[in-house]
Amino acid sequence: MATTDSDSATASQRLDKDTRETIVTVVRHTILLTWSFIVLFPLYWLASMSLKPPGTANSLPPDWIFLPTVYNYIQLIQDSGFVAAFANSLVMVSASVVLVLLIGVPAAYVLSRYDIPMERDVLVWILSSRMLPPIAVVLPFFIIFRELNLFDTRIGMVLMYVSINLSLVVWVMKAFFDGIPETLEEAARVDGATQFQGFRKVVLPAAKPGIFSVAIISFIFAWIELLFGLVLTSFEAVPVTLFVYSFIGSRSIEWGMLAAASTAMIVPVVIFLIAVNKYLAAGLSFGVVIKE
Amino acid sequence: MAKITIDDVTKRFGEGDKSIVAVDDVSLDIRDGEFIVFVGPSGSGKSTLMRIVAGLETQSEGDIRIGEKVVNQLGPRARDIAMVFQNYALYPNMTVEENMSFGLKMSTDMSADEIEDAVTSAAEMMDIDMLLDDKPGELSGGQQQRVALGRAIVRDPNVFLMDEPLSNLDAKLRAEMRTEINRLQNDLDVTTLYVTHDQTEAMTMGDRLVVLNYGELQQVGTPLECFYRPANQFVAGFLGSPSMNFFEGKVEGGTLRADGFDFDLTERMQSAVGSRNELVLGIRPEDMTLHDRANLGHEFEAVVDVVEPMGSISYVYLQARSQSHDQTFIVETDGQRPISEGQHVYVEIPDRDVHLFDPASGETIHQRQLGDDAEMALEEQMKPAE
Repeated sequence: MATTDSDSATASQRLDKDTRETIVTVVRHTILLTWSFIVLFPLYWLASMSLKPPGTANSLPPDWIFLPTVYNYIQLIQDSGFVAAFANSLVMVSASVVLVLLIGVPAAYVLSRYDIPMERDVLVWILSSRMLPPIAVVLPFFIIFRELNLFDTRIGMVLMYVSINLSLVVWVMKAFFDGIPETLEEAARVDGATQFQGFRKVVLPAAKPGIFSVAIISFIFAWIELLFGLVLTSFEAVPVTLFVYSFIGSRSIEWGMLAAASTAMIVPVVIFLIAVNKYLAAGLSFGVVIKE
Repeated sequence: MAKITIDDVTKRFGEGDKSIVAVDDVSLDIRDGEFIVFVGPSGSGKSTLMRIVAGLETQSEGDIRIGEKVVNQLGPRARDIAMVFQNYALYPNMTVEENMSFGLKMSTDMSADEIEDAVTSAAEMMDIDMLLDDKPGELSGGQQQRVALGRAIVRDPNVFLMDEPLSNLDAKLRAEMRTEINRLQNDLDVTTLYVTHDQTEAMTMGDRLVVLNYGELQQVGTPLECFYRPANQFVAGFLGSPSMNFFEGKVEGGTLRADGFDFDLTERMQSAVGSRNELVLGIRPEDMTLHDRANLGHEFEAVVDVVEPMGSISYVYLQARSQSHDQTFIVETDGQRPISEGQHVYVEIPDRDVHLFDPASGETIHQRQLGDDAEMALEEQMKPAE
């Protein structure tokens, strides 16, 4: 009898455990599904608006079922202004990401590895460039850009994007380098590498996840930048955000075109994300990559 | 292969009043092919001294010579050394094979085929040839350790430097690797500097030990020499596990009056002691004997505080019955001897096993006696080698 009792007790415990696990799974999935819906629904709405026939994009009640058309996209591609702005942004933003990494990553390495006098102050000074709201500095920037003949130039916008992202790159990469043991470079030096070879062949590859993470974040920040583009460009260096914004007129909004242009804007970011995806998980934790 | 000369080397960190002396005027000759172990507690300067030899730190004063060449101004890459780090420092982005060939690519003009051959034979020697395509992250601690050793061996350097290479391994693996490193060093006959804080490693591995404390050289000698003929109280206490027992006392006539017991100094001891009126008596736990009753008359009574049975032996922590403070000392006894806490026993300190130290300087003033054979063997070891 005792055996049967203990058996049934174990069975009921197991049942309890199974039930608990099921409840946890259901709750977890419900939360995730809800969250996915909240995140994805606007994207779905945007994409579906861009595929609706002209004049129906913003109709109320919304057309849930409609015949998709690429009319808006064809209009967009035929608009030389959009193509130019899109290409402008791609070139300017990509160049700015390369430049910000070229400056920021070595700077972060030096701050991580060498005894710099007043290191803390230098770091805070770098961060201070992001402490003011952009709107507060846009006018001085306008004047500086005009004086330096950078107004409405691609180079000017590249420098602008670099200044936006540099502090992020330096701070994140410094933390990343701090997590890479110094003995790696020492091992490389003992192995016959120069200090620079050690940095290039050993430390940089180990820091890849961090570099890709700051690259994608810098890309997104520059890609979606509107305010400085609005003030510092007029024709030549207009970024795509500004062009998209132009669909919002003072009297009417071209919803279909706006949606198509916005959807098109997402594409490069998604491609970039997919390309570097495998490095992101490690990078976004900003933690130690090598166990000691 | 090369001899190494460390000549009056001092290393200070920081400047002015805040500077810390990590290595204090150390001089040392290391013979070609010798296995030298730097041993000391943390902060003793042993790692710093090795890093100075490696060229990873620059000494504040003094010279380092590898072979006949003064290498003070040379970086690590020009010193033809290979180093094994405590955390292995394997390159995480490279495979085992790339890790091992990196140094050859950087420091030699060997062809790709020659490099591959060298890597393969070193990998076979270390029994890691099946891991060549794996990344360090996929390896166990023991395997990483082997790769780190393989990476050093493949370079065929003048000098091996090993900075606590076994301290991240579990006890069993550590014992295995200890033997393996010994075997490798014997086979390759490369001058090796090995840093450890573990006195078991130090005793079992080195041809000679270099005992350091607070950056100062305490003693250089063979493991047995340092164990049986310690230069001072620090070395005597540092080597041996459990540590040597020390009893401070005052000399009155021919007797040392320690806290809890008296010890009659032999004539030899008395002449070594001279006019000192304070002494430290040192005796190892395995040299003391416990009796159930006073047989010879010069034992002293003690109470068992704690018993640590180790199997074949037991460590018994005791307090002299009449002592005024509650410090304990340790005696090693047969594991089969029945003994329990609170029991009263009689402790014998054999004259021949006693060391005496100067309490102020710590310097050894009287060494224990050894059996004739052991004495001769030790004398043989202590002769300067050619």
